[in-house]
Amino acid sequence: MIEHDFPEEFVPIAAELQRLPYLSPSRDFAERVISRIDRLQPAHGVAPVVASRHLELQQGGRQAVAPLQRRKVGLVRGTGRAVVSVGLVAAAAFMFFEIDLLTAILSAAATQYGFVMAAVGSQVGTVVLGPATIAYLQAGAVEAVLLYLTLAVGLFGGYAAIRTAAHIAKSKAA
Amino acid sequence: MTPNSYTDVSDQQVVVFAQEGREDAYRELIKRYERPVFSLIYRMVRDNETAEDLAQETFIKVLNNIDRYRPEFKFSSWLFKIANNITIDHLRRRQVDTISIEGSPDAVTAERARATAVSITSGGESPLEELESRELGGQIEAAIAKLRPEYRACIILRHVEDYSYDEIAEIVKLPLGTVKTYIHRARQELREYLEGVR
Repeated sequence: MIEHDFPEEFVPIAAELQRLPYLSPSRDFAERVISRIDRLQPAHGVAPVVASRHLELQQGGRQAVAPLQRRKVGLVRGTGRAVVSVGLVAAAAFMFFEIDLLTAILSAAATQYGFVMAAVGSQVGTVVLGPATIAYLQAGAVEAVLLYLTLAVGLFGGYAAIRTAAHIAKSKAA
Repeated sequence: MTPNSYTDVSDQQVVVFAQEGREDAYRELIKRYERPVFSLIYRMVRDNETAEDLAQETFIKVLNNIDRYRPEFKFSSWLFKIANNITIDHLRRRQVDTISIEGSPDAVTAERARATAVSITSGGESPLEELESRELGGQIEAAIAKLRPEYRACIILRHVEDYSYDEIAEIVKLPLGTVKTYIHRARQELREYLEGVR
């Protein structure tokens, strides 16, 4: 309460002034103010990323593939395509070029870069077959030996099939 | 700390929390002062929508500059100072309207102000408004509206908000003597306006 520093005639007016009610702004006043406080708003560059991730996770009512998983799938697909492409190029080479020359080139490469090819082959094998399969093969179990043999037979069988196809193609061409 | 626990926390401490970026502290400051600030502004501009806009502008300005608050002053004084500045600026921009209703703000005496004012006691009031206007509270609201904006701010800060003369001088950025003169004149004018009511 303030001390009286006014004439007696003003006392009732002063008392009435003190009884004047506070007036209220509209109900959403605080919300409208808060929405315009700069430091309480999320950074403009971050919000769209968060929103898009949220949408991605909700699409179709199930959890979408996370970016890391998607990247792995892409790598496997790329490796598969590369292997198929190399296989097709090799088959074409066997069919339309001199096989002995190609064999000589491959032989020289195997001799010169055997270690590098083994390392690269191991990496490619890990990507294609998976680390669990590679570990299984490297364990030296009986099943692994059988698997090696199957792979070797498959390899030689494929090589023989390609040579036969090339021979037939040459005969027909002649 | 939850918003409920701000009950016994001083303004200065709430401001510190707000400076740390805590939204509940901002909301607490709005909760504490939205009504006093809105009331002051409304009694100066006499228009609900305008008062709300100006009160909103006041809080946005204060809270966006909360880091500039100096704790040696009362937070409420700083807040009212900004509210008063914004309102006076608005009234100066709307000077023509102000003259047409309440008399020229350049009028140096109550008589001169009344001479330049337009009567607002038309017969357009509803019965309820007429009944309310007969009561002293309603008459005081009407009488405050007739004061010059500078007088209004001073008299409200003195008699409604209980600020000292020094604090009012700080808020309205006027010399102490001028504030005392304004309040003295405002009281005189209020007495004159309300003479027939009591």
